[in-house]
Amino acid sequence: MEKFGKAQPVKRVEDVRFLTGQGRYVDDIVPEGALFAYMFRSPVAHATITGLNVDDARSADGVHLVLTAQDLLDGGMDITLDSTAAPNRDGTHGAKPERPVLAHGKVRFVGEPIAMIFAETMDQAKDAAELIEFDYDELPAHLGLATGGQLVHDEVAENLAYDYGIGDEDATQKAFDEAAHVVSLDVGDNRIIVNSMEPRACFAEWDGSRMHLCMGGQGVWGIKTNVARMLGLDPENVRVTQPDVGGGFGMKSFPYPEYFVCCFAARALGKPVRWTADRTESMLTDNGGRDLTSLAELAFDADHRITAYRIKTISNLGAYNSGFGQMIQSFLFARVMPGVYDIQTAWLNVLGVYTNTTQVDAYRGAGRPEAIYVLERMMDRSARELGVDPLELRRKNFIPVAKFPYQTVTGENYDVGDFNRVLDRAMELGDTAGYAGRKATSEAAGKLRGMGVCYYIESILGDPDERVQVDFEEDGGVAIYVGTQSNGQGHETVFTQFLADQTGIPADKIRFVQGDSDLIAKGGGTGGSRSVTTQTNVTLKAVSDIVTAYTGYLADKFGVDEDKISFDDDTFRIEGSNEAPSMLDVAAMARDDQREDLLSFKAVDEIPGRSYPNGAHIAEVEIDPETGKVTLDKYTVVDDFGNMINPMLAEGQVHGGVAQGAGQALSEHVVYDEDGQLLTATFMDYAMPRANDLPFVAFDTEPVPSTRNPMGMKGCGEAGTVGSMASVANAVQDALWDRGIRQVDMPFTPHRVWQMLTAAE
Amino acid sequence: MYAFDIERPTTVAEAVAALKDEDAQALSGGQTLIPTLKQRLASPSKLVSLSGIAETKGVSADGGTVTVGGGTTHAAVAAGASAYPALAALAGGIGDPAVRNRGTIGGSVANNDPAACYPAAVLGSGATVVTNAREIAADDYFQGMFTTALDEGEIITAVKFPVPEKAAYIKFEQPASRFALVGVFVAKYADGVRVAVTGASEEGVFRWTEAEAALSGNFSAGALDGLSVSADGMISDLHGTGAYRAHLVAVLTKRAVAAAG
Ligand SMILES: Cc1cc2nc3c(=O)[nH]c(=O)nc-3n(C[C@H](O)[C@H](O)[C@H](O)COP(=O)(O)OP(=O)(O)OC[C@H]3O[C@@H](n4cnc5c(N)ncnc54)[C@H](O)[C@@H]3O)c2cc1C
Repeated sequence: MEKFGKAQPVKRVEDVRFLTGQGRYVDDIVPEGALFAYMFRSPVAHATITGLNVDDARSADGVHLVLTAQDLLDGGMDITLDSTAAPNRDGTHGAKPERPVLAHGKVRFVGEPIAMIFAETMDQAKDAAELIEFDYDELPAHLGLATGGQLVHDEVAENLAYDYGIGDEDATQKAFDEAAHVVSLDVGDNRIIVNSMEPRACFAEWDGSRMHLCMGGQGVWGIKTNVARMLGLDPENVRVTQPDVGGGFGMKSFPYPEYFVCCFAARALGKPVRWTADRTESMLTDNGGRDLTSLAELAFDADHRITAYRIKTISNLGAYNSGFGQMIQSFLFARVMPGVYDIQTAWLNVLGVYTNTTQVDAYRGAGRPEAIYVLERMMDRSARELGVDPLELRRKNFIPVAKFPYQTVTGENYDVGDFNRVLDRAMELGDTAGYAGRKATSEAAGKLRGMGVCYYIESILGDPDERVQVDFEEDGGVAIYVGTQSNGQGHETVFTQFLADQTGIPADKIRFVQGDSDLIAKGGGTGGSRSVTTQTNVTLKAVSDIVTAYTGYLADKFGVDEDKISFDDDTFRIEGSNEAPSMLDVAAMARDDQREDLLSFKAVDEIPGRSYPNGAHIAEVEIDPETGKVTLDKYTVVDDFGNMINPMLAEGQVHGGVAQGAGQALSEHVVYDEDGQLLTATFMDYAMPRANDLPFVAFDTEPVPSTRNPMGMKGCGEAGTVGSMASVANAVQDALWDRGIRQVDMPFTPHRVWQMLTAAE
Repeated sequence: MYAFDIERPTTVAEAVAALKDEDAQALSGGQTLIPTLKQRLASPSKLVSLSGIAETKGVSADGGTVTVGGGTTHAAVAAGASAYPALAALAGGIGDPAVRNRGTIGGSVANNDPAACYPAAVLGSGATVVTNAREIAADDYFQGMFTTALDEGEIITAVKFPVPEKAAYIKFEQPASRFALVGVFVAKYADGVRVAVTGASEEGVFRWTEAEAALSGNFSAGALDGLSVSADGMISDLHGTGAYRAHLVAVLTKRAVAAAG
């Protein structure tokens, strides 16, 4: 704890830059003279390609290059995007049908890349695209969240990509057979489009021997490996950079075709090329999120203790495997399947299916929001069916404090937790005692009111090890090189502030460096709420290395024993001397003494274990029964994030997460027509949550420091989303229960809620 | 966007002359036309910008009539039509500040989007659409979605609204675009009540005559009890079925009457 020191609500230093248009995103820093790339995409969801003629496009004004799959193959490129396959129940692995960067043979979703045009202006590139002759025989589109139907890939029977299982199926069945009560519910989890503010973008340049790819992403190293593999380059000759990134949310973690085709073109042309998706292109081609449906069942004993939990899920992968698509609703979902409850008997079976839609992969929380959504909808439904208070049912089944560390049925080892304490505080902050009064007021105004709770837990994911380099520079400042990658969360502030706190070096003398594979050999990027814990952990190690080295150096220099020298996070004290050099002072001395070895420090460290942030969300909604409009009226969050480095930024993460969860619950709605055309391909039809759709979020924390990292921290980046979907949905169900409505699924748009009300009449 | 020429006339006469060229199109606030061009869904060879024509801008009130110049922005109407509060409120509820500072009444009424707000005010007020060539009564002007009585190259120079005793516009927003999923404009005049509905019908803005008749005798929400419009011919899309829209027409009309007071 003393290492942790100073939690401070420091404001984000990068915000002035971002808010005044001074951010440096990919599209702001393209090399001069870069050619504009435009992707010609499939207009249909499913077809056999019978002809592709790009001759006229090639000779159009301003066009330097048009690339098809054949051109890439002729140029020796490996055109297949890689992915991780989920383990099947039978010990084999999930399907891996080829996902080419440009379609050949068949197209499988609207927006699939077919040919890329490189021209001097964007208009010329688009004009050329209109000259492409693309002939095809349309096939029926497979769109349902179901196995079987028209095959998306001829070699994948039943469209079944994987069949994942975890737990003990027989023991679970036995527990259900013996249960005093069984509750079951179908839980749909609607598809969303991520909609990062900055669309995906890249530029590529080739200097005759090395490739530089600059793109918006969540870490440069995975992309670097892929560029090297696909273009047949030595990894030494690939540099990937990521400048400011305007939101990723998991969507930007994975390889996409455009980056690699641009690299190929830059090399072929010897000229830089640039590509930025427009909004509809993003909506058509960015990995989607969620899109699954689960049949969940809970078994209870006579005393309402859970004796077993069983889920059967079908998850949509889209047309191809995205990088981690198969793992999201299987392995990652399983991480927190039993949530905060003492459940030792469970069975999860997940089928992943291909459809003629865009790929689906990680979206803020990646499997964990989905698992908690199912579980917390189930807890709520169970309380209703058992006729008990939903909070009491949760308390009865919470893992008690005395049982930590707690081994879960799906293989996690929760270190600490005090769920009752957190829930107590949430009830107080959310004034649950005053709810009856608020409901009466709503009813007097002709409105239905509901309250919903979600108690979530998250398991922090991503690479547990991380690197840092701290350089003392000639101008008297310091550079910190990190292996994470800010997507707008405020890493620049947090990591420089942390180093400043630990070393006394003024924050404004610290230069923050991220996202350059030439400068940083390896790193874990951003994802899984890992960044702050892993990066500060390794920074602590670097600081400790510096202090040790400087102590030895000072001992020599001043002719004292090392144990006469101490560092108090600010100044070195040397017993018997009036000298009290700061760390920068010592660095300057070392430079004068030509001790290069004391001017640059690299550290690698792995966090001892994962942390498990958890918390309670309480939502209150008001519904206009005449129109079906749902208003999110009151919202409370109490989190256990352990120790926080910057409480203000952590709270900001919660606000954003709640907005994304509430957005999915209330308005975000992806609709394909029966031919697989995306109907919600602009913001005129896809409803993002807006500021005035959300109430102020009351927020507090009840920290129980993690024992698995030196600072006692827990990740907080995804938590807001994990808790908010079920709290809002439970509130809507609560409001509609008295009208006899028993099946409520997101999104709760006015029209859908009105239909539920009408059907129940 | 395809390449085009642009002209910037300063009088209506010049604009009318410029629009005589084949494939020339008027450009006002550009809030509808520019996105269409960006998506390459239209390819006029020449745009004739109406923004520099001072004579079509501004709001004036005179003897029970509010006249809004065809080139007046929504923001200017929201701020300037205090003589007709329901009209000002409608203009102030269109889009967002950027849209309101660029978009104009002439562009909106010429475009006649089935989900637009102004057509409800124009029809609900029995207003007169004034062009460079003639005056057109609202009842004759709207001819189905995206269709109007305007001739090729004809420019809306003003809209004249008779000011009612009471009026209100209630818009139920389509969740994404915030255009009207359904919007109802109710206006009570000495000689009767007009009710105009936008957003709902495949025929574009329309008058709900049964409601008008009921309200003309008794201007109260209760007078509408039991009245409904048929779902036939109502727009069905991902934001709402025809049945939902028909239902909203009845709900919102009552609310508009209540709001008008
Ligand atoms: C994000 C967004 C939200 C919006 N929300 C709403 C809403 O809630 N409610 C609503 O009603 N509208 C809404 N709109 C539309 C907005 O009101 C537009 O301003 C309006 O539809 C068009 O007006 P404009 O001046 O921009 O016309 P333009 O886009 O310039 O032109 C539109 C059409 O009208 C023609 N035209 C323009 N002026 C004249 C004229 N004087 N005479 C003859 N023809 C003319 C043009 O040739 C063109 O065909 C929204 C628009 C956007 C972009």
